[in-house]
Amino acid sequence: MDARKADRIATAVFWAIGIIALGILAFIVIEIFARGLITAVKPSFFAGKPQALKEGGGVGPMVVSTIYLVVLTMLISFPISVGAAIYLAEFAREGRFTRFIRFCLDSLGTVPSIVFAIFGMTLFLFYLNWRTCLLAGAITMALLNLPVFLRSAEEALRQVPLTYREASMSLGADRWTTVKKIVLPTAMPGIITGTILPLGRIMGESAVVIFTVGVFVRAIPLSPFDPAAPLAGYIWYVQSEAVVPDYRTIVNGGAAILLILLFLINFGTRRLSAYYSKKKSLGG
Amino acid sequence: MAREKYIKMLLMACASLSFLAILLIFLFIFQESLPAITRIGIPNLFSAAWNPDKGQYGMLAFLIGTLLSTLGGLLIGAPLGIGTAVFLDQVAPSRMANVIRRGVELLAGIPSVVIGWFGLIILVPFIARITGSAGYGIAAASVVLAVMVLPTITALGAETLRSLPPELKEASVAMGATRWQTIRKVLLPAGKEGILVAVVLGMGRAIGETMAVQMVVGNSSQLTLNPFQPTGTLTSNLVTNMGEAVGNFRAALFAQALVLLILSMILIVSIRFITRKKEA
Repeated sequence: MDARKADRIATAVFWAIGIIALGILAFIVIEIFARGLITAVKPSFFAGKPQALKEGGGVGPMVVSTIYLVVLTMLISFPISVGAAIYLAEFAREGRFTRFIRFCLDSLGTVPSIVFAIFGMTLFLFYLNWRTCLLAGAITMALLNLPVFLRSAEEALRQVPLTYREASMSLGADRWTTVKKIVLPTAMPGIITGTILPLGRIMGESAVVIFTVGVFVRAIPLSPFDPAAPLAGYIWYVQSEAVVPDYRTIVNGGAAILLILLFLINFGTRRLSAYYSKKKSLGG
Repeated sequence: MAREKYIKMLLMACASLSFLAILLIFLFIFQESLPAITRIGIPNLFSAAWNPDKGQYGMLAFLIGTLLSTLGGLLIGAPLGIGTAVFLDQVAPSRMANVIRRGVELLAGIPSVVIGWFGLIILVPFIARITGSAGYGIAAASVVLAVMVLPTITALGAETLRSLPPELKEASVAMGATRWQTIRKVLLPAGKEGILVAVVLGMGRAIGETMAVQMVVGNSSQLTLNPFQPTGTLTSNLVTNMGEAVGNFRAALFAQALVLLILSMILIVSIRFITRKKEA
């Protein structure tokens, strides 16, 4: 076969593959909204009380649980992941220790979420005798997110030009002051965009939630030690028990809410990131 | 300065948390599965007989289920993911490439329960109709996993291609090679290691994926090579049974979690091996 013909065929095949990949996503998004959007936007659903046996239940406490869990996990995860990233990017000298830490991070990154879930259950429920609660889930999820979050934060820090640090230190600032006043603010937009993936994972994670946080609540959780039922775990629970007659409606509506939350996360973090870059360029 | 020293120590502690976490995970899972290893015995744990009511805890059916569904997911997902990566790096116009990049990011964020749910209400009935089976099984799990490994393989594959030196492509094109010849003979061979790492990480995702698989695999404990028969995987068995299990049953489940943990460590070590060979 002559090379030009082969090239044309290959180009067509790559276009087809790209369109298939996009088609899969479009199919899923359209199906989610077509099946669940009408349910999802009803106040009696997204803010309503859940039903254990009858139909017509809402997912109000579950939506609150999801948001609560995301915020709580980020409160733990953000300082630890960014702190570790600062250490690796700014303080540590490349050597045996950093290589070892990176190996641990890579390993942690491939541990299946169900293993994290079982670990969290063993630690908090069996050893510390807690009941299922938001805090147990948040700590487990912070560990699960550490490798991904750290990597994106470290990349953002490394993109800050070396000359910024040199300029700051030549004026007499020590390393930490340089990091705090110069490097971190410059890297902030990148660090914030790096939260998209972890935020999405916390929101959509169900295995950890099922074993450490809980799958059903009637009341809105208030304290971090309260049991809760984040939406992703609740959806799984509802379809797996199939007790309520309208469980299909609940799962479809819940899936649509999760997708809306995912869009909000994407949009919100990008806006926040843009706000920080603008603030920086104005010298604020 | 003293302050800087304390801060450095604090930051170092954050980084060391990764070591502490992986150590604790190993210790806890190992300790909880120890009763299974001593009382049930390793040969019995890997046997084909699974019947917790009769005290039989062989995980072979689940292990095979995990391996087959992972293989199936990669057979579909890896070519699609690598192809998409090549498409967006080399073939697609930049606007199209951006749409795909954003789209793949979004796909990575779609919760696995949601993908599993669509597997359950669309894919399973579809397979049931064309094969006359119940629709549950390795085939359904493989398709669901292909969708889930696609973002991982595409993102890492595209990153590998982007980081290749531009001279490679320029030299090839200057010699009169077509785009396809350049991709096949120059770019893919040059990015071989990175693409392999992408596939191995996708594999890790497939082995560990729990909820989506649990919803479509059928959750039976029968050992089968037929992709259209209900079976189970290590992860699906864990999530289905862990809630109620006690005693030896629970210990046997922890032993399965330990096997999952060891499988993921093998992947990490093989990635180290792949990347080290390249550096040498």
